[in-house]
Amino acid sequence: MADALTAPVAATPARADGALRETAALVAVWGTAALIAGVFLWILGELVWNGVGALSWEYLTSAPREAGRAGGIAPILVSTLAILGVCLAATVPIAFGSAVFLAEYTSDAGRFGRVVRTSLDVLAGVPSIVFGLFGNAFFCRTLGLGFSILSGGLTLACMALPLVIRSTEEGLRAVPREYRMGAAALALSRTTTLFRLLLPAAVPGLTAGLVLGIGRALAETAALIFTSGYVDRMPSSLLDSGRALSIHVYDLSMNVAGGDRNAYASALVLVGLLLLVNGVAGALSALWRRRLAAP
Amino acid sequence: MKRVFLAIGMLALGACRSKDPASGSSGPEAERKLVLTGSSTIAPLASEIAKRFEAKHPGVRVDIQTGGSARGISDALAGLADIGMASRELNPDEAANGLTAIPIAKDGIGLIVHRDNALLGLTRQQLVSVYTGQVTNWRQVGGKDARLTVVNKAEGRATLELFLHFTGLKSTDIQASVVIGDNAQGIKTVAGNPDAIGYVSIGTAEHDASLGTPIRLISVDGVAASLATVGDGTFPMSRALNLVVKGQPNGLARDFIEYSRSAEVHDLVKAEFFVPLGPTGT
Repeated sequence: MADALTAPVAATPARADGALRETAALVAVWGTAALIAGVFLWILGELVWNGVGALSWEYLTSAPREAGRAGGIAPILVSTLAILGVCLAATVPIAFGSAVFLAEYTSDAGRFGRVVRTSLDVLAGVPSIVFGLFGNAFFCRTLGLGFSILSGGLTLACMALPLVIRSTEEGLRAVPREYRMGAAALALSRTTTLFRLLLPAAVPGLTAGLVLGIGRALAETAALIFTSGYVDRMPSSLLDSGRALSIHVYDLSMNVAGGDRNAYASALVLVGLLLLVNGVAGALSALWRRRLAAP
Repeated sequence: MKRVFLAIGMLALGACRSKDPASGSSGPEAERKLVLTGSSTIAPLASEIAKRFEAKHPGVRVDIQTGGSARGISDALAGLADIGMASRELNPDEAANGLTAIPIAKDGIGLIVHRDNALLGLTRQQLVSVYTGQVTNWRQVGGKDARLTVVNKAEGRATLELFLHFTGLKSTDIQASVVIGDNAQGIKTVAGNPDAIGYVSIGTAEHDASLGTPIRLISVDGVAASLATVGDGTFPMSRALNLVVKGQPNGLARDFIEYSRSAEVHDLVKAEFFVPLGPTGT
């Protein structure tokens, strides 16, 4: 580039050089994209190759036996969904509230908003084992919830909140200023503007945050081993300890001799569940957005 | 969406209510609960024993939680768990605090080579040389003239931990040609390679060798590797799997510990590739 600018007369070699560079850049960009897709497909392929043989309806609906080498994962699946449910029930309202506060009631330059935003960004980068130890100390011991699905779900909510809040806030900030001015010109109250105009516009941001948060939550082992625990019995309440799928996969591959095959099968179920939950989150948000935006 | 929250709220409330009798007190139908925490090596076995124990004692719940031996010991000391699980012996400090370790099974790993390999055994020092890559030919440790294939376990395995403990190596010191996941894979690898050496659970190796798999357990420091030498504690690459309690166990905890040591659970112990306690309970 520099050559072409300083010596416009000697155009031909510079152009050839430029074309070469273009090609190189193109190859590099395509190459990295293909690499990422390849890694994903490789992981998925390996899971399917090793796990699909052990997978069956029976596997999804029966209790584990012989430490998970035989039997299925029904109680573990139920616990996982319950933990996720608790996590979402805590995350969605709090995330919405905080994001609205940050986007609508604080300015970019305001000190308090800055403090909140910085702490959220720091929280988003905290290793999950720290959340696990915090969850164990706070939810399990201080609040007396013990090893329970409730403790696990709330710990995950603490982990997911920073991601979801920041993403929802970005969604709200992306709504053009003219919408708010138009609403003010029509003498709509601040609440009406918020619920009828801004929230529907922010739903995509919330969904994107939720998808990230759910992904982080479902993949979590370190934060759950000390909060929702290891018990693989079918939970009868949210105060029971319940083993999450990710912990089951970890246990089978690390602590149970001969558990590799079922570890793959459980991991495959986990990936399937993740895709399913993400799909449902997307569909729900589309539905909700239409409903809220309707007059 | 509101309905969803409502449903979850009701579920949580219902959960709290259904728990009340348990925390309430000591009616005969009240649920009795035992909490075990600790070693992730013991946890799968304890889980299986707990299921059978629950089936025999209706109304009893035994919850197993993991977190490592150190956690099991500190939870037992602090009273956060009824029983701790530790895959090591107590150190003098811990014993002085009034903790008792009660073994429920033994864990032993043995060195295996191909059946056609005439080597009788290795000393600890030779083993270290083989696994750090200082020795690359069988001849250097008294075997035939062939290149060694060193088979190691993947990171995080309890067997690797025990192997490192015995050899005093760090996992980064080990120069392995093949890294395997579980016992079955290790046995397959050695059975298919006349020049390989690996280490696996002794229970599995003995069982497979008796079924005709072409592998052989070799002695370590002159002690033959067998379930018998692991059971009586003479085999060096072995450890006790302990339940840890503060003071003398009583009530439900005592029943559970006695049950875990009884012959009724020997099949569960063997299924986890551990060695059951001998008839004397040691």
